[in-house]
Amino acid sequence: MASLKRTAGADPFAQNISSKVYVRSTKSGKVQKIVREVYLRQDIPCSSNLCQACLKSAPRNAAGELTPFVLSDKPAGTKTFPQGHYLVPDTNAFLTAMDLFEQSSAFYDVVVLQIVLEEVRNRSLPLYNRLVGLTKSEDKRFYVFFNEFRLETYVPREEGETVNDRNDRAVRKAVKWYGEHLAKTSRAKTVPAVVMLSNDKDNLRKAKTEGLNACSLAEYVGQLKDGDKLLDMIPDAQDRDVTRDRKPGEHLYPEYQSLSKMMTGVKAGVLHQGIFNVSPYNYLEGSIRVPAFPKALLILGRENINRAIDGDVVVVEVLPKDHWKEPSSKVIEEDTITKNENPDTEDAGDLVSEKERKALQEEVRRTQNKASETLPQPTARVIGVIKRNWRQYVGHIDQSSVSSASQGRKQDTVFLIPMDKKIPKIRLRTRQVAELLGKRLLVAIDAWDRDSRHPVGHLVRSLGELETKAAETEALLLEWDVQYRPFPKTVLDCLPKEGHDWKVPASTEDPGWTDREDLRGLLICSIDPIGCQDIDDALHARPLPNGNFEVGVHIADVSHFVKPNNAMDNEASIRGTTVYLVDKRIDMLPMLLGTDLCSLKPYVERYAFSVIWEMSPSGDIVSSRFTKSVIKSREAFSYEEAQLRIDDVSQQDDLTQGIRTLLALSKKLRQKRMDAGALSLSSPEVKIQMESETSDPIDVKTKQLLDTNSLVEEFMLLANISVAGRIYQAFPQTAILRRHAAPPKTNFEELANQLKTKRNFDLNVESSRALADSLDACVDPKEPFFNTLVRIMATRCMMSAEYFCSGTQAEPEFRHYGLASEIYTHFTSPIRRYADLVAHRQLAAAIGYEAVDPSVRSRGRLEAVCKNINVRHRNAQMAGRASIAYYVGQALRDRPAAEEDAFVIKIFSNGFVVLVPRFGIEGLIRLRDLAEPEPAAEFDAENYVLSTSGSRTERVELFQKVVVKVSDQKDEITGKRGVKMELVRA
Amino acid sequence: MSTNHVLLSPAELAYLHASLSLLPPLRPDGRAPNQFRPVSAETGVLPGANGSARVCFADGTEAIVGVKAEVEKTRTRLGRDPEEEEGGYDPAAEAAAADDDDEGGSEDDRKGHSDWVEMTVEIPGQRDDEAGTVFLAAMLSEALLADGEFVKRLYINRRFHWKLYLDILLISPPLSYPLPLLSLTTHLALLATRLPRLKSEGDEDPLFDDDWAMSDYLYARVAGKAVSRPPLTLLVMAVGSNIIFDPAKEELAVADVALAVSVGEAVAGSLSSRTGSKKMEIDTGIGGGRNLRLLSVRTIDPPSRLTPPGVPNEKNTAYGAAAVTAAQKQPEARTVETESVEGVWKAPRGGAKVLVMAALVDKCLEKGGVADEVFDALEAVDLG
Repeated sequence: MASLKRTAGADPFAQNISSKVYVRSTKSGKVQKIVREVYLRQDIPCSSNLCQACLKSAPRNAAGELTPFVLSDKPAGTKTFPQGHYLVPDTNAFLTAMDLFEQSSAFYDVVVLQIVLEEVRNRSLPLYNRLVGLTKSEDKRFYVFFNEFRLETYVPREEGETVNDRNDRAVRKAVKWYGEHLAKTSRAKTVPAVVMLSNDKDNLRKAKTEGLNACSLAEYVGQLKDGDKLLDMIPDAQDRDVTRDRKPGEHLYPEYQSLSKMMTGVKAGVLHQGIFNVSPYNYLEGSIRVPAFPKALLILGRENINRAIDGDVVVVEVLPKDHWKEPSSKVIEEDTITKNENPDTEDAGDLVSEKERKALQEEVRRTQNKASETLPQPTARVIGVIKRNWRQYVGHIDQSSVSSASQGRKQDTVFLIPMDKKIPKIRLRTRQVAELLGKRLLVAIDAWDRDSRHPVGHLVRSLGELETKAAETEALLLEWDVQYRPFPKTVLDCLPKEGHDWKVPASTEDPGWTDREDLRGLLICSIDPIGCQDIDDALHARPLPNGNFEVGVHIADVSHFVKPNNAMDNEASIRGTTVYLVDKRIDMLPMLLGTDLCSLKPYVERYAFSVIWEMSPSGDIVSSRFTKSVIKSREAFSYEEAQLRIDDVSQQDDLTQGIRTLLALSKKLRQKRMDAGALSLSSPEVKIQMESETSDPIDVKTKQLLDTNSLVEEFMLLANISVAGRIYQAFPQTAILRRHAAPPKTNFEELANQLKTKRNFDLNVESSRALADSLDACVDPKEPFFNTLVRIMATRCMMSAEYFCSGTQAEPEFRHYGLASEIYTHFTSPIRRYADLVAHRQLAAAIGYEAVDPSVRSRGRLEAVCKNINVRHRNAQMAGRASIAYYVGQALRDRPAAEEDAFVIKIFSNGFVVLVPRFGIEGLIRLRDLAEPEPAAEFDAENYVLSTSGSRTERVELFQKVVVKVSDQKDEITGKRGVKMELVRA
Repeated sequence: MSTNHVLLSPAELAYLHASLSLLPPLRPDGRAPNQFRPVSAETGVLPGANGSARVCFADGTEAIVGVKAEVEKTRTRLGRDPEEEEGGYDPAAEAAAADDDDEGGSEDDRKGHSDWVEMTVEIPGQRDDEAGTVFLAAMLSEALLADGEFVKRLYINRRFHWKLYLDILLISPPLSYPLPLLSLTTHLALLATRLPRLKSEGDEDPLFDDDWAMSDYLYARVAGKAVSRPPLTLLVMAVGSNIIFDPAKEELAVADVALAVSVGEAVAGSLSSRTGSKKMEIDTGIGGGRNLRLLSVRTIDPPSRLTPPGVPNEKNTAYGAAAVTAAQKQPEARTVETESVEGVWKAPRGGAKVLVMAALVDKCLEKGGVADEVFDALEAVDLG
């Protein structure tokens, strides 16, 4: 009987074929044995520019072109390898020190083995993406070598060998092959050394016995020129085992449960999975929203939080009822409580320090005193982390944690205080404390062990001096994950070749004119904020013979320039939105498009996407149509200019009349919207006035709203709604829409209760209409700002609006609560929002202008896009706000402390939060800031009153108008600058 | 029975029957009565399956068996603790259980169910719902399920078990009754079957090691040898008082009685690691060979019963016998059937004799006998 199996001897091709066998567990619980055949080849190039053999055999594409070789023919040398070297890191090297590889000073000519890349992907997706990014960058010269497919470097697994050992052997084999291969084929006399980088002692030892060049990361970095600086970026994983031999049972934190146990529990509904959030006011209090309960579960105290960091996906267990508590009414800030901790010693012994315990103790006492008035909330404890969502954090070194006697290049351990208050202090080991003090630093968390009070991290890089504009701006961009690197070349290659000289083709025969309407004759103008360069939208209105009006909204035709799925489109979809900072704009699209070719600048012809309605004088839409067009804007107004022009009776030209028509119609539209129950919400908006030369902030002003603002707004809303209806009709499953869910009533509970007890107003949240009406009723005749204050607070109770793909929600869920519209999308700002660009493509396909691109009707892809732009959108807003807050602080910096009116918006038992409308900032005033010594206080939680006695007698209640002194202050201990508020009088 | 007809004349049948009745019997292929046809076998022919085997008999029949395993939720049967109803996971109960026995799931908890094995037999040229094929599958699965020990191996925890799909394929035309071939192949495939190693503990949702090299054999092996073996079904027939193993098609055509005997290993100390020690008391320690245990016996209707009887020469008109009238035909025909004439084929009638049956079964269970030999032979196959 001839065997059916492939055996090594019988088959002449057998050596080219191998197979991999593994077990795959699917989500649905299936467990399968998977066999993959591996076909080994000999034409996978080594990609060294020195090698001549590979040049001949390397596969070519259909056009007969060769992928250019990556590795330099003159690689850099080090002390040990003066002849130059190629690096071959193993998986752990990438996992532990990706930041090192991203350095621009070293780490060039790196061979990334396929096996390593795959392992990195399995272990950490973010690191994998960074590594892929490196392999794509042209100047870093990272080459992915498919060692698993090259005959010479393929390593079959041996009997009884673990996967890790086999992979290590594969790495060594590849290193060996590279060395031998280059020696054979190189045309240069000196062959660069091929150096394996690994932190695995065993692997290093084996490599050395095999006669390979191998270094640990620390050894290698030590050979580099600026090695000392880079040393800080290597996590100190190795020496940690040595320094800390704690006996078992002395761990500070409870151990996490096994994944299978947690998953079983979650499936059975005994345990709950969700995203862990930390309260911004109390670092010892977290909350987690789980599908099983309508309200979030509280997680109190270090032990229960059990090493979870804000944003992690965790599994929690609900605690027994006698552990249930109320959410804290007290401000607990990490830096004040743990101020004097010593980062070097971990001998604090117990997990919860005495001070923390005391802070929590008071908490409990308070809860118990009050017995049953407000029900305690269920609490939970973290029993495991499903996914760490650690990112890189920006912060600065806690000055007090630096030992004064630090000298030389000794490694010190210091605390880093992250900018984000929700992130715990990070222990950092560094040799350059003196240099890093007072700088903004970017760090990454490496690990958080059971026996370490704080997570351990390493330095990524220094952003620069604290409070310098560049460092702070970069810090907040990093903190909000805004992509701010310049556009790569591949993106810029997608721009029109003509550059700024691009013009709408003169001949209407040109393909660019196909199916475009010539609207150059219309009197179109744009109205935007002063200095706006990326003009998305322009308008026109003219009377029709039948007494109705023709109104047009013309949007920059970005989709003409950004074709689906090219590099520029991908980059834009990742960026998602343009981010506006006070002094800077981070564009979604390259400048050329955003501020020139797409921008509907006045006096030049531009491509546009037009929505044109016929409207009755009462503002009813008679008909609407959509068309691609060519327009010529007659004027670019600022809001103020447009307002002046409207108000100036002497201006009677057609353009001005058109604007007046628009204004009249917009008022009617607005009234209709308000009648339908649209909310007018509020957020404290301010504007920073800059000195024009140095762009230093000199003053802060609240934004003024003009009629013309709402003119533009109304027509944009109308255009968005019209387009939303049209694309939903054309693509019922895949239209990109925007919804704003009705907020759950529980969100308003507290505010309603506050309004009821303090001012006896009823907040009716039955519908958006009812809410709008009850908000309108909240007026304090003595205090005009009170209504705005309530609106600001109501806004914070709302859900955030989100993009979604129409197939993912039921039609009633499409509703936009705030705008009281049944359907809504974003169409009017394609230069600065990616969603609008997608809407443009969908509308173009819907009106038959172009063929439907697969990317705009693939639901999976659109869902991914929506998810990303929702996050980007929120981050952009946060970054913008943070930027304003920073500049407000800077504007206050050198001014005498001003006394300002402020309103109390939140009360704790040991402090309260005030909002200063003039600057649009909030500040916390603690009891201990009121007077020295800290006055005794009585907190009436039911009536939201905090009365102090003793060293200072004040009575502060919610919504109260107080006078505060606003000044800028630098905390000498933490080195942190912030706005300081002092209560002048209540 | 579905064994296809052998085209032998009554005279040939009579000759065969006579030679097999001799002492010792003379088999057409010259084998000894307890000798198997030469077998060649290999395992692991189907890389994607959890276990597979291929066996060829020297007569050209060939079979492949693939074993696939899937994780399945155990459905609670009536009368069991409602706590354990589908998906009912109670960490407290589990913790309590974990306290009781550290092995997680003591022996008595391991319960199997015959639903956990699904077997399909495919014979080329035959419908899969044909009685003969179904009967074959029934016999093969009966051997596996008879004592309930096999399905216990498929137990994962109280909430999950492996579901085993056995696909048994005859890939040559059915030249002889395929039962022994299929049984041998199935046995070998089960020996070679490996299941991913369980990583989770207790009654958690099972989580498995993704390294195939770490997977466990369904029949645990120590130092390259299985400590216990799957059952084996042997085809035995008797002609007169002669007992003949592994009959060829022609031999079966003259069998007085044919039996499918399933034997398994009696649980000796080796299996106790899984199934507990109370089985130990069953006759052990006699030494030499293995303790075999009868799992099931099925009689197979031998095709000989369907063969037409021979006509003695004196009755044959062609040989000068007087032509009989229609009226005379009836009684004479009866004499032909009742009377046995030397050298004239007569289909066997009536059931098997109890003594013969007992002898057949005894022969199968004989220490160091044929079954033992076959077990040994299959053990020698490399499970690569």
